[in-house]
Amino acid sequence: MENKLERKPAVSTKLSDESFITFFMIGVLIVLFVLACFVVPNFYRTQNMINLVTNNWFYIVLGIGVSFLLITGNFDMSVGGNIALTAVLSVYFCQAATGSPNDLANGLGLPYPVAIGLALLCAMSVGALNAFFIARLKVPSIIVTLGTMMLARGTAQVVTEGAQRNTSLPDVFGMLGSMGIPGTTIKLAVLVMLALVIIALIVEKRTVFGRRIYLIGANPKAARLSGISVERYLTALYILSALLAGIAGILLASEFRSGMSGQATGYEFDALVISLLGGVSIAGGFGSVGGMFVGALILAVVKSSATGLLLSPNWQFTLKGIVTFIAIIAQRYALDKRRG
Amino acid sequence: MALTENVLEIRDLVKDFPGVRAVNNVSFDIKRNTVHCLVGENGAGKSTLIKILTGAYMRTSGLIRLNGEEYNPHSTRDAKQKGISTLFQELNVVDQLTIEENLTLGMEDTTFGFLRHTDKINKIVGVMNSIEPSLKPRQLVSSLSVAKKQIVEIAKAVAAESNIIIMDEPTAAISESEIARLFTIIKNLRATNVTVIYISHRLDEIFEIGDYVTVMRDGMHVETKPVSQIQDRSELIKMMIGKTVFEQYTPREGHCEDTILQVKHLSNHQLSDVSFDVHAGEIAGFYGLVGAGKTELARAIYGADAYEGDILFKGKKLQLGPDKAIASGIALVPEERRSQGLFTILTIRSNVPVMNMAKISRGGFINSAMERSATLEYVQKLKIATNSIEKEAAKLSGGNQQKVVLSKCLFADADLLMLDEPTRGIDVGAKSEIYSLIRQLSKEGKTIMIFSSELPEIMNICDSIYLMYDGRLKATLRNGCDIDSEKILHIVTGGE
Repeated sequence: MENKLERKPAVSTKLSDESFITFFMIGVLIVLFVLACFVVPNFYRTQNMINLVTNNWFYIVLGIGVSFLLITGNFDMSVGGNIALTAVLSVYFCQAATGSPNDLANGLGLPYPVAIGLALLCAMSVGALNAFFIARLKVPSIIVTLGTMMLARGTAQVVTEGAQRNTSLPDVFGMLGSMGIPGTTIKLAVLVMLALVIIALIVEKRTVFGRRIYLIGANPKAARLSGISVERYLTALYILSALLAGIAGILLASEFRSGMSGQATGYEFDALVISLLGGVSIAGGFGSVGGMFVGALILAVVKSSATGLLLSPNWQFTLKGIVTFIAIIAQRYALDKRRG
Repeated sequence: MALTENVLEIRDLVKDFPGVRAVNNVSFDIKRNTVHCLVGENGAGKSTLIKILTGAYMRTSGLIRLNGEEYNPHSTRDAKQKGISTLFQELNVVDQLTIEENLTLGMEDTTFGFLRHTDKINKIVGVMNSIEPSLKPRQLVSSLSVAKKQIVEIAKAVAAESNIIIMDEPTAAISESEIARLFTIIKNLRATNVTVIYISHRLDEIFEIGDYVTVMRDGMHVETKPVSQIQDRSELIKMMIGKTVFEQYTPREGHCEDTILQVKHLSNHQLSDVSFDVHAGEIAGFYGLVGAGKTELARAIYGADAYEGDILFKGKKLQLGPDKAIASGIALVPEERRSQGLFTILTIRSNVPVMNMAKISRGGFINSAMERSATLEYVQKLKIATNSIEKEAAKLSGGNQQKVVLSKCLFADADLLMLDEPTRGIDVGAKSEIYSLIRQLSKEGKTIMIFSSELPEIMNICDSIYLMYDGRLKATLRNGCDIDSEKILHIVTGGE
């Protein structure tokens, strides 16, 4: 029917702001990578490039939930604590009930599938708690999720008495973490991450659900008056974000055959930083998981080159801070300039 | 300095906005130490005039003399320093601070950044106590009623030695006894060399407190007269609406018989006991001044605000929640288009299908070809001026933005369309396009409810007219040749 229209407004071929930011950050990534290849010994090796992705899969998994929530205009700072909680609980549920006098060697002895199912449910209930306070009671998300972050990690500390649980585990417990593509360092977790990123991209770009995430972030009042149940969407997204953290927790616990209370400390900030590096706006309504993926690679290049340069961990942290800061400023500057 | 007789002289004042001349060659004088009332319908240009006086807007041309000297404020702060203070409807007090802190806000005495208690504070508190002795300086402002907060603001204005205090609808949100108290204060102010410019929609107040009244209409000055020379309300109303010939309303052929919407004893924080029926296929107009409860009524029917009472649509009781309303076949064009209707940072293509995503998706997946063609269809149908459907809604003009919001609601395929202030702040051309669209939709069998504070709009297109005042439905009229705009204005300003 389109050819019947006499004056047809063009379907623009101009790049959208979102793609612009993603390409801009890809440019930043390439520049940093080339720079690192010159400065850092052995940085150009294929194995190192693969490691950039495989060593950082968990940030990207967390980044999916965190980015979606940021696009709705909400934070989720509870994901790091939630990883520790799920990791510790999956171990505790699966440890044999030995009756040993050492509490840390004594678990519930549940079959592995039941154990991880229950641990994921616990993770999701943290998400449900976030959703209840944020979507229903309208408490600012930063406050609520900082609270549940400590609640989740605190529970993990109680269960492990502030240390870790790693004894009396059946062999099946380590399977998920040790599986991978034979002959490579690519683990199952990395494949899961890639699959999740692809699903997230499809959801974000092609589905009604994804579109509504942007609408809510762009104008929550108008979204409600347009018939979108903002409360339901936020609830679904907080539970989803918690589930993703839970999956990361299960996989990490399996890889290390251990549930550590200090697992994933500070990961919530890294997940936030890679989302911001990828152009997601904290004001809501703007950004993409694709950008977040690029952001994660930028952070990975910086971290890896800091290690390659044998910088002390203290300086690594500082360098990460400086690069993040410059990258985000540059990105906003480029966007403002483009918008005139 | 010899004081001039006129504290303020306005000459040939003009203010243009894109597409609209809001103030058109206005000239009049305000005499020293009087209460000078300013009246006119919504859109008459009062607010614009006040904003020029307070430095919020720059005039396009013309001259203002304050105490005989040219007056050209560049900010509200500047206006205040030159002697004009304003009591806005949205009060400018800080709830979390004490009365004393509010009174000295922005002019505190400090030593190395620390606040100092000085004589200045005592002097200002003295001023306040002479106005209202019951207020304690250490009281938190959040504990005060609206009327008391107004008094704090008046005290601040007096302490700043203002010549003129502008009061913008000060009685809109306060009780009868508080109004009496306010009037006493205004009379005292007049006795102590302060000129008050008083704006109100409640015409009775003009006769009680006013010395002079200036009537404005369509951005123009109609008349300035001593209040004593005006006989009664109806004379004032005649001056307000003038001899405007309304665009002829054409009565519809045939009658709308079937009731589609029944509202029974609807009450909430802003509405009291509203009951009425709307017939299928008619255009129903709800008219009232600002604060009459029109928007609240629309929001309640739409399920956006909680209420008591029953609302039946097509015989079925409506549940709370806009999603339920849309599912039953009701769509709302909200009052504030940018903050409630539009997703300004998203493209036109993302805006149009929002209320009916099922129409452009299959199994939860968006079909982008359908999305584009649907958007293009509405862009053309409503003549939205844009070179691309990928343009951000923020970049469109007001009229085109409103057309995007209308497209959104039309796309919902609703049987009942509620339009809250559908033509506010848009240019004449877009306005008439929207009117013909409304008539067209009505012909196609849609039921339309218009909530408006523009009487010509209501009289021009609505089949039945519902008059609101103070959260109540005061009268229901059928539009036709015997419709009497004076009577309507009488009712919506509180007359019986």
